[in-house]
Amino acid sequence: MADSSGTTLMDLITADPGPASSASGSTANATPSSATASAAASQSPSVPMTTTSSSSLGKTILGEKKSKRATLMQIQNETISAAKAALQPMKTNIMPQKQKKKPVSYSQLARSIHELAATSDQKSSQKQLVHHVFPKLAVYNSVDPSLAPSLLMLNQQCEDRTVLRYVYYYLARILSDNGAQGLSTGGGIPTPNWDALADIDAVGGVTRADVVPRIIEQLSAEASNVDTEFHARRLQALKALTYAPSSNSDILARLYEIVFGILDKVADTPQKRKKGVFGTKGGDKESIIRSNLQYGALSALRRLPLDPGNPVFLHRAVQGVSFADPIAVRHALEIISELAMKDPYAVAMALGKVVVPGGALQDVLHLHDVLARVALARLCHTVSRARALDERPDIKSQFNSLLYQLLLDPSERVCFEAVLCILGKYDSTERTEERAAGWYRLTREMLKLPENDSKSSKDKSQKTRRPQPLIKLVMRRLESSFRSFSRPVLHAAARVVQEMGKSRAAAFSVGLTDIDEGVSINEFADDDFNENPYADGARKASSMSGSTGSKETIASLLASLMEVVRTTVACECVYVRAMVIKALIWMQLPYESFDELESIITSELSDPAWPAALLNDILLTLHARFKATPDMAVTLLEIARIFATKVPGKIDADVLQLLWKTCLVGAGPNGKHTALEAVTIVLDLPPPQPGSPSGVTPVDRVSASDPKSALALQKLVQAAVWFLGENANYAASEYAWESATPPGTALMMLDADKMVAAASSRNPTLAGALTRLQRCAFSGSWEVRIVAAQALTTMAIRSGEPYRLQIYEFLNALAQGGVQSQLSEMHLSNGEDQGASGTGLGVLISPMIKVLDEMYRAQDELIKDIRNHDNTNKEWTDDELKKLYETNEKLLDIVSLFCYVPRAKYLPLGPISAKLIDVYRTKHNITASTGLSDPAVIATGISDLVYESKPAPAESDGLDDDLVNAWAANLGDDGLMGKSAPAMSRVNEFLAGMGTDAPDVDEENIVSRPSVGYDDMWAKTLLESSELEEEDARSSGSSSPDSIGSVETSISSHFGGMNYPSLFSSKPTSYGTSQTSERSGGNRYGSSSSIYEGASSPIREEPPSYASSVMQRHDSFENPMAAPESSSFESEDESRRNTSGNPQFGSALYDFTAGGDDELSLTSGEEVEIEYEVDGWFYVKKKRPGRDGKLAGLVPVLYVKPR
Amino acid sequence: MLRLRLQWPRLFFLTFLGFHSCRFNGVPAEERLHWRSFLVKLGADNLKHAKNEELFVASHKSVYIVYTVLGDICLYVVGKDEYDELALAEAIFVITGSIKDICKKPPTERTFLDKYGKICLTLDEIVWKGILENTDKERIKRLVRLKPPTEF
Repeated sequence: MADSSGTTLMDLITADPGPASSASGSTANATPSSATASAAASQSPSVPMTTTSSSSLGKTILGEKKSKRATLMQIQNETISAAKAALQPMKTNIMPQKQKKKPVSYSQLARSIHELAATSDQKSSQKQLVHHVFPKLAVYNSVDPSLAPSLLMLNQQCEDRTVLRYVYYYLARILSDNGAQGLSTGGGIPTPNWDALADIDAVGGVTRADVVPRIIEQLSAEASNVDTEFHARRLQALKALTYAPSSNSDILARLYEIVFGILDKVADTPQKRKKGVFGTKGGDKESIIRSNLQYGALSALRRLPLDPGNPVFLHRAVQGVSFADPIAVRHALEIISELAMKDPYAVAMALGKVVVPGGALQDVLHLHDVLARVALARLCHTVSRARALDERPDIKSQFNSLLYQLLLDPSERVCFEAVLCILGKYDSTERTEERAAGWYRLTREMLKLPENDSKSSKDKSQKTRRPQPLIKLVMRRLESSFRSFSRPVLHAAARVVQEMGKSRAAAFSVGLTDIDEGVSINEFADDDFNENPYADGARKASSMSGSTGSKETIASLLASLMEVVRTTVACECVYVRAMVIKALIWMQLPYESFDELESIITSELSDPAWPAALLNDILLTLHARFKATPDMAVTLLEIARIFATKVPGKIDADVLQLLWKTCLVGAGPNGKHTALEAVTIVLDLPPPQPGSPSGVTPVDRVSASDPKSALALQKLVQAAVWFLGENANYAASEYAWESATPPGTALMMLDADKMVAAASSRNPTLAGALTRLQRCAFSGSWEVRIVAAQALTTMAIRSGEPYRLQIYEFLNALAQGGVQSQLSEMHLSNGEDQGASGTGLGVLISPMIKVLDEMYRAQDELIKDIRNHDNTNKEWTDDELKKLYETNEKLLDIVSLFCYVPRAKYLPLGPISAKLIDVYRTKHNITASTGLSDPAVIATGISDLVYESKPAPAESDGLDDDLVNAWAANLGDDGLMGKSAPAMSRVNEFLAGMGTDAPDVDEENIVSRPSVGYDDMWAKTLLESSELEEEDARSSGSSSPDSIGSVETSISSHFGGMNYPSLFSSKPTSYGTSQTSERSGGNRYGSSSSIYEGASSPIREEPPSYASSVMQRHDSFENPMAAPESSSFESEDESRRNTSGNPQFGSALYDFTAGGDDELSLTSGEEVEIEYEVDGWFYVKKKRPGRDGKLAGLVPVLYVKPR
Repeated sequence: MLRLRLQWPRLFFLTFLGFHSCRFNGVPAEERLHWRSFLVKLGADNLKHAKNEELFVASHKSVYIVYTVLGDICLYVVGKDEYDELALAEAIFVITGSIKDICKKPPTERTFLDKYGKICLTLDEIVWKGILENTDKERIKRLVRLKPPTEF
């Protein structure tokens, strides 16, 4: 009940156009029983003021039916007639209805005001106004301007203070209703006639435009009234005036004039502020009136726009610091500290006299107004850090010492503000240097109390006049705060610790020289440490007492503080806990063990009370932390993994993905594998079942109970799968265009098991990712399966062999349902119809398979052609080259549809085609990078996407904002919050700042993730381009010369036939793998046929297309074998083998004993001839049989030292 | 249950421009709905068994929320910048104190409504244009009665 009515009321309240008085909370009221009635009433002109009966409900509905115009006319008529009748209106209007508990409509109230205003001299009218009309009017949020004449009349004629107070209140509300949107700015309990009035502005009702000048006129007159008896009203008039729309410069000028006029009169008299008389009675009447006026004027000035260039403005504000009224002092300080942001020099000069010891600013230290001291802290901070004052260290130090003294302030608010100022926290902008300097200040500097500071505070620790290290003061203060029971205090303390962590991280990242935290800060043995006023008896932390007398270091202080912080996790308020966790994350250093943090977070996350927004906030904190210290990428990913495994339903997949991405990029070459592992763990959710092939299946089953979180989990898994597909190649540093293994090598190893084994031994990262994706592709829900299939295709296209072949095989199986049938016993059906063709992905996969088919077929063709040319020693004709080139381009186009590949380097026909294509290009003046000039490419539109890397990041920014903010959409305050939230701005900053540097900037294509459409693929391509272009550049810088070189040689050898064996012998060994690609294909075929024969059932299950390609290959080899030169390959007889074909030799480094039939035993020092390399093995031949009597076989690469 | 909500997200630029057209100073209209649902949910989650004047804290990004229950009334105070948790706690303390003074005890819905006009005036003295103004109870009382802040 409470809830439902509460919601209704909240509806009423917030819909409310929030008038002027920011102070007067708008209230909607209704008894619980009338919740529905009031909801209905909010639409109607009448609002239930008290308990609403059903009859009143009917009445409001009636009222609703009246047209607004009619209502308005009725009001006016009745008002006039009632005003004429003048004398007996009130009782009938209000009281009876109230007693009958009927609602009072706005029109009734308005009428009553008009009537009562006419009779305001009567006590009864005044009473009526004060007790019934005005209070009820307050419920309505906008007061319509037609009331203004009556209010002004009351203002002039009425003597009753309470009535007048209400009049000022309502006049202020009328003033503040912003003309243009007076109505539309809110909703709330709508003021019904307001609409009508707005409509008839043109017709000539009373409008705001009419009354505002009148109100201002009258209030200004009152504000300028110097009669001392009048001065209370004068202050109220001034206050009401500040609500006037300041967009109007005339009004503004007038307000300044009034305010400065008052200050001219009252400010210049020398002020003698006696200590302890703030706001209390005493003193002569004249000075009190003056002080009241000072207060009124400064308060008004505070509400007016700052006027930074105006010396009078500053002068008056500085004078205000010496005023007697504490609130006037506060406003003066706030104005000054804001001015100091703009012009610290002028402010410092103007404050010259008051900042000195004994000056007014020192007095503020003891002012009983917290916000005044907060403003003082900000002022001191701004001035003491100002670059403009670099030549005046004396002034700076004065302000600095003032700031340090505020650390001793009894109020936590002030103390924390001072800490934050010392730490270098500016409003919302973050500056690393400032932060780092802040940490340095906090840890190194001393608080020296000025001599004349006699009774400065009740803080007992001050009894010692010794200088105190700031860090110690702060730590003590924080520790005591953490023992508080008040949630706001805990929250604030945790926030301060978080800021400390930020500054500390900044200090480390900047690399401040003497950051050593092991240094003792306690050079002076502090005897009075036991008197620590905060350590009260039993609750005194042992860490505190233990440190007494011993040498204290910053590290030890921090450790004891963190101990206290950790215990705060026990607080029952999640927001406090969230702040504590953020603080812990920030205080975590890369080299520290994070077990404790991890366990805290793990246990926290099992608490269902955590709202999703808060968890995402922490994820963003991880971002920010990563940005501050990239070294922590792996640690942070581990933490993020906990989130993914514990609360997959609550966190936003986009935010998590962003984190994965940034961390993956930041993890560096060594951490990449770990980083990717952390991501893929998500796919084993929940609970993690390592080693279980059906690890993904429970995802659907477990979460099916809760549809919403199931959906979220689904999305998360999709995100992970997509992420894996996009980034596995990056993480594994495996790209087809840099691949060390030529396609032919892999083709030889058609045994799937061996293939997988070989692949994983070479690149465990990629192999692991592949395995996971394969699992997802057949056992996830259909969305996951689709994404997985896409991810696999991406990987197939980008990876070299044998991964491509592995995926190809898998996709074929998937399309046909072969694997499905094998694996269906392993996992229980998730209840979905798997579709007619096995996994139901047939339709989706077939284009992908087609692409791969095309590629393999073209490769076979090419190999055949090359073979033919080699055998017949024919030059390639231009037509043949053209055909080849066109095939190459066509494949590139197709491939680009699926994922981005660097066009200039990607060779769909395999590395062997590079030379030929190059020849063609040189002949026809097609530069490698100008693939875009090819009409076919332009037609596809891909060139625009791929080659314009610059626009992509720009666009990404726009997208990023949306995405990053998207999760906040449930609070929707992107504009306001987004701007100031540190985490958010940091993430944005991160993306904006690093976008061009980082190799991966395609966070933004999160949007296109789950889609199947080509449009989205294109979009993805567009968005990715910057990443891979980067990749491209990198590879051409470092590793590509090698691969290009090797490719060149091998091609040239093919191109020119077998006449250039010397090319091979001249090659360094590292190129052996690729250069032998083609010819070793022949060798292998002959020599290691056992491998081929060993190919087991998976191959048999291959689709016809694949099988046929194998067969083609087989056929193509028949001819060469018949040729005299190649005949050597078909036999293992080494005597017939002439060395011209394979010139590479090596010597065995160690003894090796063959472990299998195809392996060869070695004796160290033995000379061998290296035929080719397969995944860590050399196929070698020996001159004479060795221990095992064999002449040829496989030996580990490391056992042979090639020459 | 009756809810009264006060807001002063005090924005720097507001002081510059000096105009606030609504109670949600600086909070654009489209965000208000979100704020409302956020606060309602917050209250529903936490205020069920809350003691009178027990302070609760929440934050959203850089905006702080301190809220409490006073009799039948849930009171939310939202602030940013210098109005952090502690400043808001102080403000809410002043507000609850004033309301209790006016209603003589933790207000029921009835008494709160009866005194509503006066409460509005009091709040008007405590918060002025989105900036915390008076915190001293006596002073607030004087100002509500249209007396000068310091009596002579």
